[in-house]
Amino acid sequence: MRFCPFAERTLLVLKAKGIRHEVININLKNKPEWFFKKNPLGLVPVLENSKGQLIYESAITCEYLDEAYSGKKLLPEDPYEKACQKMIFELFSKVPSLVTSFLRRQNKEDCSGLKEELHREFSKLEEVLTNKKTAFFGGNSLSMIDYLIWPWLERLEALELNECVDHTPKLKLWMAAMRKDPTVSAVLIDVKAHKGFIDLYLQNSPEACDYGL
Amino acid sequence: MSGDATKALGKGSSAPGPVPEGLIRIYSMRFCPYSHRTRLVLKAKGIRHEIVNINLRNKPEWYYTKHPLGQIPVLETSQCQLIYESVIACEYLDDAYPGRKLFPCDPYERARQKMLSELFCKVPQLTKECLVALRCRRECTDLKVALRQEFCNLEEILDYQNTTFFGGDCISMIDYLLWPWFERLDVYGIADCVSHTPALRLWIASMKQDPTVCALLTDKSIFQGYLSLYFQNNPNAFDFGLC
Repeated sequence: MRFCPFAERTLLVLKAKGIRHEVININLKNKPEWFFKKNPLGLVPVLENSKGQLIYESAITCEYLDEAYSGKKLLPEDPYEKACQKMIFELFSKVPSLVTSFLRRQNKEDCSGLKEELHREFSKLEEVLTNKKTAFFGGNSLSMIDYLIWPWLERLEALELNECVDHTPKLKLWMAAMRKDPTVSAVLIDVKAHKGFIDLYLQNSPEACDYGL
Repeated sequence: MSGDATKALGKGSSAPGPVPEGLIRIYSMRFCPYSHRTRLVLKAKGIRHEIVNINLRNKPEWYYTKHPLGQIPVLETSQCQLIYESVIACEYLDDAYPGRKLFPCDPYERARQKMLSELFCKVPQLTKECLVALRCRRECTDLKVALRQEFCNLEEILDYQNTTFFGGDCISMIDYLLWPWFERLDVYGIADCVSHTPALRLWIASMKQDPTVCALLTDKSIFQGYLSLYFQNNPNAFDFGLC
């Protein structure tokens, strides 16, 4: 689905590795019955190959693509460096549900509480960049962990959550560096389109997923 | 349980020195299911290691330099590298050490094992909640229903695959990742939750024949002794059964 941050992870990896692929968008507000045969949970993203093999859970799809396809490796070969990327991924793990909760917030109290929690989570990421002294989470070049984290940081502006990175300057610099990456820019959706989708999605509109088409 | 028989270090203990060359250290607790996963992988791959047990109710101050929240398991290498989260630790060991690979080589088969691991992810919390409810003499019917449903999902996989183990006909990483919670069903008092899942029961029996699983199996009476002391908030619980 064009606006799904989890699916964006997989699209970023497909593009970064130059993997020939076709995209089938699923209307998440009106799922086709056949889609549950692809993933019993009915969630995107799902990869399907010409052998009929199905892979789901965004992080699992990304690792699968990195292992199965040749060319630029996005995950490090070194076992410890690879483990470090996974530990950073765990550190990030509360952010997606916090952002979803923020989207679905009912009142002002929820709002400030959630912003504070997000701010705390972002501080953890800031600490990683501070300790590593590198531009990206995996070192001085962009790698898997950066792509896995990016979709949520991309959406901060559309969600009016930019203030959550006010006290995390390195994270802000990282966001700017990410926007310059050719793969990220190729997949980037502008703020207006994100906002358009979010509005329709919150109204449970079946047209939401096709916003802009 | 040879090599595992050291008292749990608590507040006021001295930090252990650097990890000697040729060894890897695991910070653990004898009855923790997450540490159990990593100890299974260490054993299965024949990796030379030393175990430092941590008193989880009275954590040493120095332990927070190994893990920011003081959790176990943590691996420490002789180059002072720290690896945590049990699954990350298990994967690291399979990648870093030669010999028998526990994860398959094929990328799709590897992905399948990871998807299975996700399918299992509600089981640890549910088994813990059942244990606590039973020990506190509370109702846990709903919890057991939920747990049975999770076991049904796993049963379906075994039925569909028609294999002995979750990764095929030989034991592999996914089996070791799941095992610790199944070993504990009996001593937690919830063995009846597999009453309607025959393939899962067969899997349990097959696992009990695996040399690695056997080598690390905890004696039921020792586990029960630990649980009694743990639920009485006795700080010596973690050392129960040691001389």
